[in-house]
Amino acid sequence: MILKNRIEEREVHKKLVLKILMIVPVIFLIFAILQRDGEVVNGLTAILKSPTILVTDFMELGGLSSAFLNAAIMGLLNIFLLKKFDMRINGLLIAALMTVIGFSFFGKNLVNIIPLYFGGYLYAKNQGIHPRDVIAVIMFSTGLSPIISELMFAGIMSPNVSIIVGIMTGTLIGFVIAPLSAHMLKFHEGYNLYNIGFTAGIIGTVFTSIMRTLSKEIQPVSILYTSSDVNIKMLLALIFTIFIVIGFKINKNAFKDYKQLFNYNGRSVTDFTFLVGYGVTFVNMGVMGLLSVGLVSALNGIINGPVMAAIFTIVGFAAFGKHPKNSIPVMAGVLAGALLLGFDTSSTGIVISILFSTTIAPIAGTHGPVWGFVAGLLHLSLVTNIGVIHGGINLYNNGFSGGLVAGVLIPIIDAFKRGE
Amino acid sequence: MRHEIKKVSKIVDELMTLLLREDTDEVDFKVKKEQDHYKIVVTDYNTKFTQAEAKEFEEYFNVQRQHEYEEYFWQLVGESDCDVELTMIGAMVDEAIVELRGNDLYMEIIRKI
Repeated sequence: MILKNRIEEREVHKKLVLKILMIVPVIFLIFAILQRDGEVVNGLTAILKSPTILVTDFMELGGLSSAFLNAAIMGLLNIFLLKKFDMRINGLLIAALMTVIGFSFFGKNLVNIIPLYFGGYLYAKNQGIHPRDVIAVIMFSTGLSPIISELMFAGIMSPNVSIIVGIMTGTLIGFVIAPLSAHMLKFHEGYNLYNIGFTAGIIGTVFTSIMRTLSKEIQPVSILYTSSDVNIKMLLALIFTIFIVIGFKINKNAFKDYKQLFNYNGRSVTDFTFLVGYGVTFVNMGVMGLLSVGLVSALNGIINGPVMAAIFTIVGFAAFGKHPKNSIPVMAGVLAGALLLGFDTSSTGIVISILFSTTIAPIAGTHGPVWGFVAGLLHLSLVTNIGVIHGGINLYNNGFSGGLVAGVLIPIIDAFKRGE
Repeated sequence: MRHEIKKVSKIVDELMTLLLREDTDEVDFKVKKEQDHYKIVVTDYNTKFTQAEAKEFEEYFNVQRQHEYEEYFWQLVGESDCDVELTMIGAMVDEAIVELRGNDLYMEIIRKI
């Protein structure tokens, strides 16, 4: 059993952590302004009015300036909420914030998240608890935001009815997501880090089945940014390098202490901000970010909306369970499977499957790299086939797959183990 | 529904699993519901834990209450018999005393309602 590590670092106040995290949306905002493509208003309108079904890449749909502006707005709004609630910024909240920012290139916008937040607020009021108690779950629940946009803007009903039905459905999901997600944890025992992805997959499956029963088929789309990504890579490298530098500023022994991170298996709840401090956590976030960008480049992949979502989700969860030691075996399993089956490893679908597969990194962390590799192979099979079940309305398709992989694999691993 | 009683049961479950697996073959639990809090008293007999480890437990349990963890992860507490959720116990309780008393490890944990 590993207890908390004795790591010495500068005292870090929660306001400072928020300021550090604010670097991401502020840099995105500057990048959006520098684009000067003259498409901001039209692009942002297109993003806000899109059904946002998988795969809708905002970088292609609205242009770079609008997509980065959308991500900046979403990031700043959520940072404002965390500041207003005066919360200790722990690993879970960092993961939630980075996930929201990442998916703001690929499905989430102001229109389709607000009903979910409102539903979460109503749930808190109904239970007599403070809204801050459910803010993390609600931030993650925005993975189901395409349900709202689909109902509002896909022309399923008349425009006025669509808006009302979309808002009501989003509010209802926000109201029930906290108890549902807590319940779903038991299926995979915390080995799937994107638990809301698993929950959202189940909700999405129910929703899509109802729509199909009513003869309303949800049509998948494929809108992907495929142009030059050199500037975006440089931008990401800058952000992740800043994280590493800040980590060293907080803890000047962060490099030496970094190895201690590998002692943790990453299974929920593994909050690195508490266990190894903010210095090592920010270094890990930077390292995982740079590794992700390096991997995408090595595979000749393009950094577009879905890949941005994957990279920032990894960076966020680098504060809450992921590190190179538990992530690489799983990613290797997905990559090996893709190569064996002859998939195009530079395609966005495979690139994000590799990156998002780290949702089950705790399997490698707990049961070793071989089981991690096997989990990666299994993940590839599932993730390339389960999108059809929920009709593309769950942005966290890999979280759904990861939950199924962990839920099936953990009892199997148990069957091979001996002991009390 | 807030599931207060179940959450207290889960904390007891997690601690019992941890202590029986890592330390002892005899442990007592006493749970008392007061007007505004639950008190969990644990006596782990003939402990192998050191004074330093007792202090580490105390540090874990006295971290600020984190309701966002509780709402999301409480059902995970006490579920695994090969891993520990000490972070979760810390997130779900308000105060704790953990100390060695003779050969025993003594814990007194307060969870405010």
